[in-house]
Formats: sequence, structure tokens, C-alpha cells
Amino acid sequence: MDFSYSQQQIDVKNLAVQILTDQTTQDRLRAVDEFEDKFDNKLWSDLAAAGLLAVAIDEQYGGSGFGFETLSLLFEELGRTVAPVPLVPILTTAYVLQKYASAELCQRYLPELAKGEAMITAALLEPANDNALTPKTIAHCNKGVWSVSGVKSAVPFAVTSKAILMPAKTDAGLAVLLLDPAADGVVVERQICTTGEPQYLLTMENAVAQLVAIDAAADLIMKALVEHMSAALCAMAIGLTDKMMRITASYTSERKQFGVPIATFQAVGHRAADCYIDIECLRLTAQQAISLLEQDSDAAEAVMIAKIWAGDVCHRVSQASQHLHGGVGIDRDYLLFRYCLWAKQIELNCGVSSALIQSLGETIAADFSTA
Amino acid sequence: MKIEFTPEQLNLQREIRQYMKDIMTPELAQEMRNPEYFEGGGPEFRRLLKKMGSDGWIALSWPKKYGGREASPIEQYIFTDEVMRAGFPYPFLTTESVGPVLAEHGSEEIRKTVVQGILKGEVIIAVGYSEPSAGTDLASLTTKAEKTADGWLINGQKMWTSLANYADYVWLAARTDPDAAKPHKGLSMFLMPVDNPGFSLTPVHTLGVRTNATYYQDVQLPGSALVGELNNGWRMITGQLNRERLSLVNYGPIAALYEDTAQWAAQTLGGDGQPIINQPWVQANLAKVKIGAEALRLICLKQAWAMTGGNLAMADASAAKVYGSEFFVECYRMLLEIMGQAGALHRDSVGAILQGKLEMRYRVGSVLTFGGGANEVQRDIISAAGLWMPRSR
Repeated sequence: MDFSYSQQQIDVKNLAVQILTDQTTQDRLRAVDEFEDKFDNKLWSDLAAAGLLAVAIDEQYGGSGFGFETLSLLFEELGRTVAPVPLVPILTTAYVLQKYASAELCQRYLPELAKGEAMITAALLEPANDNALTPKTIAHCNKGVWSVSGVKSAVPFAVTSKAILMPAKTDAGLAVLLLDPAADGVVVERQICTTGEPQYLLTMENAVAQLVAIDAAADLIMKALVEHMSAALCAMAIGLTDKMMRITASYTSERKQFGVPIATFQAVGHRAADCYIDIECLRLTAQQAISLLEQDSDAAEAVMIAKIWAGDVCHRVSQASQHLHGGVGIDRDYLLFRYCLWAKQIELNCGVSSALIQSLGETIAADFSTA
Repeated sequence: MKIEFTPEQLNLQREIRQYMKDIMTPELAQEMRNPEYFEGGGPEFRRLLKKMGSDGWIALSWPKKYGGREASPIEQYIFTDEVMRAGFPYPFLTTESVGPVLAEHGSEEIRKTVVQGILKGEVIIAVGYSEPSAGTDLASLTTKAEKTADGWLINGQKMWTSLANYADYVWLAARTDPDAAKPHKGLSMFLMPVDNPGFSLTPVHTLGVRTNATYYQDVQLPGSALVGELNNGWRMITGQLNRERLSLVNYGPIAALYEDTAQWAAQTLGGDGQPIINQPWVQANLAKVKIGAEALRLICLKQAWAMTGGNLAMADASAAKVYGSEFFVECYRMLLEIMGQAGALHRDSVGAILQGKLEMRYRVGSVLTFGGGANEVQRDIISAAGLWMPRSR
């Protein structure tokens, strides 16, 4: 039993801390806010140059092949700095593609991605349907050519991506396909998301796509993608909430009312202490889920538990931080608001707590009913 | 990072789980139905504790020179968790808190008799810290010990002296320097046999278990009853907090209650003829217990792992205590809801569910949020030591 990270992993983390911290000054974040796509292209290139986009990409595709646990440390630092770069959706999609897709497909997308020259993203959500395993989008095959019809929502970085990995239903079960967003029959509309992250509504009408897997193999990929994406969000949530808590601890230690720092009021200190406990629970359940995924063990239940903690802790720490800051916390000139917006986006993405509690409860009932 | 136990640790867990099944004899279960013996003290309990001593389990993490196995905190945690899961009223404060202090600071005679007795499962020690006016603020205690020609004269009163009704000794904190600059600097520790004529007790029947108020009227003790240096008692009170923590909040008993309740709900039909576990809200309650218990399990494991490496942070230890104690209370509530009205039936009642274990647990559940260092004080420690927030005092 070991809760520590290897030296190699710590080195990756330190490199990520350095680059992400340097390039997320308040001035820089405000400048990127003004960009049409709210994306820090320079930071993305620097992360690529440092090899960080490729930490979990195999050596044969130009990466370091370090694995998902190492990647999760990068996500944690992303959360800590709220850097405007899509590390979670792009690198997690690439990681799962590498794990399950053919060498030919990997060769087509991963070397470019490792160099920061191309992106691939995933379309997991549909309007009124958050379950990627039961899509309403339809795929069918005509003379060996696959096409998709349907609507996907909240697809991050859809127009900047070379391909979009998505689930669709067929007569032969679930299918997983790769769609070029520039293909005929695809209409892409920008959505305005709470964090400002560029997300898109995709409307597809017989758009040609490439089949990656079908039926049981497709179930396997989609399940893995959802699990890895959830775990990646949990990792990001660790850094995000930890930073929010520490910003709050510093602010309340400086801010004086009634002649004393407000941190000296027990009511304030105790609310911060509750954040500390919450974040420790999130950290441990997330680390367990990530560690199981890294070892290719069954992580379904551990991921659900971690994501429930992530949703709850993002919500609670965000509210506590805003409250303890008073008016300063809601001012867009101050750094906290970005964290609070991301907390809500993480909470609502990849399964919300109430729905996951129901799923977990059903799993438990099934386990004990057959026992 | 690899959070699972090693194969050796899993073997140890299996070995202890089987061992504890044999320890939990029907005679012990019968004996513990008597409220006087619920926390141990009966003849069958004494017999079994001696057996655990002679089988080498009490000395598990003790140094080799005491016949111990020098097990790591992780292994000690596995032991503690299994003992608590089994429900044996094991005297952890004697074996993990007072015992090691006596071994380190006690006289040669104390080491030979009392410490060896503890390791054999023959000696049990009650802890005399709290007083009617000294709880969380322990340093304000007023029981006083005065130097006499041939030893010490002790006068005062202690409260919540659990196990004193069957223990062999009381581990007694007393004020030896009333003029010390700071209250905690004037305290010393004494070991008092319960057959001292100046000692008496009255039972205190709590919501959960029996405990005691204990009285010390002109208690005369020899010089050798002082353990450690004069006025150095505070260090001995706080020095063993770490080892104590391994038995403060545990996953094992919660896991057992969760599994038993889920099993009961799966096997019991409700008014609609369906197993109770088919109700969505029952499933939600079980899920919430599982989510909380999983975090508790990981917190306990990380704490044991950090102690093994000698780097348990103060804030993390306090976080474990607060989280565990407050989760227990919530957990009992959620599991009791599943049983409904029948959950309120006492273990001696006809129709009690799971031997009334949850009815019992919820009654004792509140103790841990204020006992072992009130949670408010723990939260103060977290915000100060974990987040560097200034304190008001």
C-alpha cells in the first residue's frame, strides 16, 4: 500500500506547475477572455514543446507513455490554475483512443496531437441525454460507408478538432465513430457555456464518419471514455477546490472586520476546516479511482464514488469560498470567480451526484439481491 | 500509488478475521447482554483477553524486547479494524495508549508487573483524565497530588472514568505544581491500584454504556507510583495520541453494519411483497453510506500509511477524527431509516433487527464528536495547522 507518487510523476507535476503558473497571471487570463475562442494558443504550444501534451501518449506516437495517473497530475494543476486550455477533454479522448483504437487510427491522430498541431475531442452529451451509453444519434452503414444523424451538445473545442469521437446507436448495438467536424452534413453552432470554454452544438444529417468499434467493443470504449473523463474531472476538481480553499484562507487571514482578521472567528475557521475535510475525501476517492484505472482494474464503482464527491465538494467549497470572501468573491476583477464557474461545470459534467447516487444504489441492490 | 493492501497484509487481515470469529464465543455474546459487561469485564471476556495475550496479538506492534512483533501502523490498523468489526470490547486505551507510556517511563517494577500483565491480557487500566470541570480543557484539572514523607497524597474527583469498575489500575492525572506558569506545566501522572482504600466510585449510566465517577480521598501512594518526571505529565497524556488514533475512527464496524443492513433489506419483504432494497430511497441511503464509508476507509488507510512513514500531519489527523465521528452519526441515521420503526427496538426486545446493534450504536454515536478532543477544537487545529489561518487565542 502506497499513497505516494514516483519521482518521475513528481517531475511531470513540477514541470506542469511551472508552465501553468507562469502563464496564468490575472493579466494573461483577462487577455485570453477577449479572444474569440477563449483559448490560450501560446500556452498550448508551450505545453506541447515541454512534452506535457504527450505524457500519456505512447513512445511510438511521439510521447512519453507515462500513463493515466501521471496525466491526472497534469489535470490537477490545470484545476489549480484554471488555465484556458482543453487538457481534460483532448488528452483524455486521446488516451482512450490509444488504448482501444487500431494502430492505424492512432497513427493518424496522436503524433500530431503530441506536437500540439491537432486536437481530437469527444461528443458525450446530447440535448436532454447525459448518458453516452444510450445515444439518440443514429449511425448506419451503406455499402461500407458509415454516416451519422443526430444532435450532440456541449462538445468542447469541436471546430478546432480534427476529429470528434462519439457514440451512436445502430441496429447492431452501440457504435463509436470519429467524425470530421468539417464533413458535409455537419452544422456546428457555438454555445456560450458558464466558464466560457468554447463548446458547440453539432447537428448531423447523414454526415460521413469513420467507424471505430461496434456492439460490445463500442460499449467497452464508451464505458472507458466516460470513466476516464469522469476521473479526469475529479483530478481537476482536486486542484480547483484546493486552490479555492487556500485563496479563501489567505483572504480571511488578511481581511479585517471589528478590528481583527476575520479568520480568527471560529465560524470562519470552521467553515474553512470543513472545506479541508471535504477536499481530503475528494482527493482520496479520486486517487483510488485513478489508480484503479491506471492498473486496468474494474473502476466503475470507484469512479462513481469519486465523481459524487467531486460534484458535492465543488459545490460546497465554491459556496463557502464565495461566502467567506463577501463581495470581493463575486467581483470579476478578483480571481475567485473563475474557480467557482469551473466548479459548477465540473459538477454538472459526466454525471451529477443525484443521478450517480441512484446508479450506485441500483448496483448495490443488485449485488446484495444475488448474494 | 497503489492503495490496495499487499498480499501479506491481506493474509494478515484474513488471519485476524478468522481468529476473531473464534474469539467471539456464544458465551461472550451472552455475557455482554448484561449492561455491566457490555464493555468487557466479565469472566468470559477476561478469559478471552488472556487468550489474545498468550496468542501474541496484544503485543502485535510492541517492541521485540517486550515480546512484541514490531508490526507497522498499517498492520496495527488491520488488527484494530478487525477487532472492532468483530465487536470485541478490546481495551485499546490500555494496550495502545497507557501501556506504551508505562513501558517507556515506568519503574522497573511497573515494567515487570503491569506492562507484562497488559501484554498477557491480565491487566486493564482505566484512564483518569476528565473531571467534572475539566473536559476538552484538560489542562485545567484540579485533582491534586501532594508530596509526603514517603510518597504522595491525592485528593480529587474524576468523571467518565470508563472501565474503572473492573480495571486493575487507574492512570491518574493530577496537579503537582499549583503555581506553574501555565496550567499544563504543573501536571504529573500516577498509577493507582483500584484496591487503594482512599478510592471509590459510583456508576454513571449514560445514553449508551455504563461509565463511572471516581473519587480520591486521601489516597496514599508510594513514590514509585509517579510515572515519568515530576510536572511532566502533559507530554505523557499527549505523547501517545498517534497510536490512539488508530482505534478512534475505524472502517470495520461501519462496513459490517452496512453489509448487514443491506443484506437484511434484500432478504426482507415490505408491504408491497417486494424486498425492501427495491425501494429507490433505500438504495439511495445505502449508496450514501457507501460513498461516505469509502472515504472513511481511505482516510484510515492513509493515516496508517503516513504513520508508518512517520509523517502524519496534525491537520490530517484532526480531519480524520472530525470526518469519522460525524459520518458515524449520519451513517447510523441512514441505516436506521431503512429499518424504520423497528430500528428503534432494543436488542433485548422481541422483533429487534440485527440484534439491535444500530439501536445501540446510535445511542453511543454522539460520544465521539465531543470525546477524544471535541470536534470544535479539531477544526481549530485544521484551520491553523492545515491552512495557516490565525487563531483568536
